[in-house]
Amino acid sequence: MSKKYGNVIAVDHLDLDVEEGEILGLLGPNGAGKTTTILVLATVIKPTGGTAIVGGYDIKKSPDKVRGLLGIAFQEPKMLWVSTPWDIVNWHAKVCGLSTSERKKKVKGVLETLDMWEARRRNVHALSGGMRKRVEVAKVLIQRPKIAIVDEPTAQIDIVGKHKVWNLLLELRDEGSTIILATNELYEADRLSDRVGILHRGKLIVCETPKKLKDSIPGGDIIEVQLESEPSAGVINELKGLKEVVEVVQPKPSNLRLYLNQVEEVVPRMMNLLMRRNVPIKALHMSEPSLDDVFVHYTGLTIEEAQKTGE
Amino acid sequence: MSQIALFGLIASRLVSVPNYFQYYVSGLSVMTLYSAAVFIGFDIYEEAEHGVFEYLLSLPVTRRQLVLGRSIGGGLRAFIYVGPLIGVSLYVIGAINPLNFLVALFSLFLFAFGVSGLSITIAVMIKSSDRFDILMGILDALIVRLSTAMYPLAIVQASNPVYGWLTNFNPVTFVADLFRWGTGIDSAYFLLDNPLLPLLGVVAFFSFFTFLGVIIYERRIEGGGWQ
Repeated sequence: MSKKYGNVIAVDHLDLDVEEGEILGLLGPNGAGKTTTILVLATVIKPTGGTAIVGGYDIKKSPDKVRGLLGIAFQEPKMLWVSTPWDIVNWHAKVCGLSTSERKKKVKGVLETLDMWEARRRNVHALSGGMRKRVEVAKVLIQRPKIAIVDEPTAQIDIVGKHKVWNLLLELRDEGSTIILATNELYEADRLSDRVGILHRGKLIVCETPKKLKDSIPGGDIIEVQLESEPSAGVINELKGLKEVVEVVQPKPSNLRLYLNQVEEVVPRMMNLLMRRNVPIKALHMSEPSLDDVFVHYTGLTIEEAQKTGE
Repeated sequence: MSQIALFGLIASRLVSVPNYFQYYVSGLSVMTLYSAAVFIGFDIYEEAEHGVFEYLLSLPVTRRQLVLGRSIGGGLRAFIYVGPLIGVSLYVIGAINPLNFLVALFSLFLFAFGVSGLSITIAVMIKSSDRFDILMGILDALIVRLSTAMYPLAIVQASNPVYGWLTNFNPVTFVADLFRWGTGIDSAYFLLDNPLLPLLGVVAFFSFFTFLGVIIYERRIEGGGWQ
C-alpha cells in the first residue's frame, strides 16, 4: 500500500502482515509514515496505490465493515462539542453502541483505572498533555475493539502512568484484541510489541520480534570480562573460535571485551572454557543492543537524526 | 429581539401592508432559523482544522449515518437556538388553530434540516472556509431577499415579475408563508389557499439537500477527500 500527498511519498509500498492477537509496533521518527498508515487502515484517507485487508475486509471496498472492527486512540483527544473527559469518553461509548447503563459503569471504571476520575468534569483543554492523552486512550479501552490502533499512547504521560497504560494495552491484547502501536519511543516498542516494524521515510525497513531484531546485528551483544590474570593467546584464540563471537578485544591485560550474538548461549561455554584453562573470572558484565542500535543498524541514523532529516 | 422591538415596530409604521408587524415578526423567525442552520457548514471547517474530522471519520458508523446525524443535529440546534424567537412570535401573533400551528412547526423543522443539508453540501464541495463564507453571504442575500420573509409576494411581483417568479420557488417563501398560515395571520396579502403546496415544497427541499448532502459527503469525504 502506498500514499502520496502531491509529490511527497508518505507511505511507500508498505507490505506487512499483522497477526491476530499480537501487538505490532510501528517504530519510526515523526514523518516516517506511521500516522498516515494508521489513517489509511482506519479508512479515514485512501491509499494512492494498493490496498489493505483489515479483518478480512478490503479498506477500499468495505470501509464501513473495517471501521466496525477498529478502535483508535489518536495522538490528541479530538472533540469540539463536548469538553470534559466524562463527556468525551461517554460520547465515544455511545457511538460505539454501549447501552446507557453499561456505559455509565464502564466510563466510570475506565476513568478510575486511568486516574482520571477526579478530573472527569474538568474542561479537557485545561488538562495537561498527559491527562488529555489518557482520555484518548480511554476511548480504546472502553470500546475494546477487535483491532485497536494506538498512536503514541503514552506521549507526555508520567512514568507511573506509562506503566499503567502499557499494562492495560497488554491486558487488551491478552483478551484477544490485535493492537497496532505507532510509537517513536524505543523502550515502549521493545516492552510492548510482539513484533516491531521499523518505518523510515515511508518505507518498512524490517519487521521482526524485538529479540530477532537485536540478534540480527552482527556482534551486537557485548560481554566485558575482568579476569584474575592475563589470558594466554591460546585462550583468546579459543574464544574467537566460538561461532557466535564476532570479535575479541583486550583493552587491558586482564580485561576482555567480546562482541558476539546470542549472548545467553555463549556465556556458559565461555565460562567453561575459562575455568578449564584455569583463568578465574573476577567480574562479568553483559549488554545486549537496544532497539536504538537496531534502528541505527538498519537506517544508518539514530532515531533523532532520522527525525531531523525527515523534517 | 431588538429587531422585533425596534426595527419591526418602526418599520411597520412605514409600510402600508396590514398587520405588517406580525408579518415581519414571523418572517424574522424564519430568516434567523435559516442563518442558524447554515452555521453547520462552518462547524465542518472547524472540525477539519482541529483534526476532529479524522476522529469522526474513524468511528464505527457509516458515512450516511454520519452526515444524517450532522444534518439533523445542525437543524435541531438551529431550531433550539431560534426557539425563543418562535415563542415571542407566537406571543405577538398568537395561534388560532393548534393543528395548523403544529403543521407549521413541522415545516420549520424540515426547513432547518434542509438548510443544514444545503450548508453541509456546499461546505464539503468548496473545501475553503473563506470561499464558503463569501458564497453563503451571497446566497443568504439572495435567498432571504427573494422570498416573502420580509415582504408579501404581491409586492415583490409588482416590483419585478422575474423577482416574483423566483420568489415563488424559494423554500424561505414556502416556510415563511406556512408559518403565517399556522399562526393564523389574517391578511389578504399572504393568506394561503392551499398549504399543501408549500408544505410539499419544504419536504422536497429537505429531501433533496439531505440526500444530496449524503451523496456528496460520501463522495467528497470518503478516503480523505476533504484534505
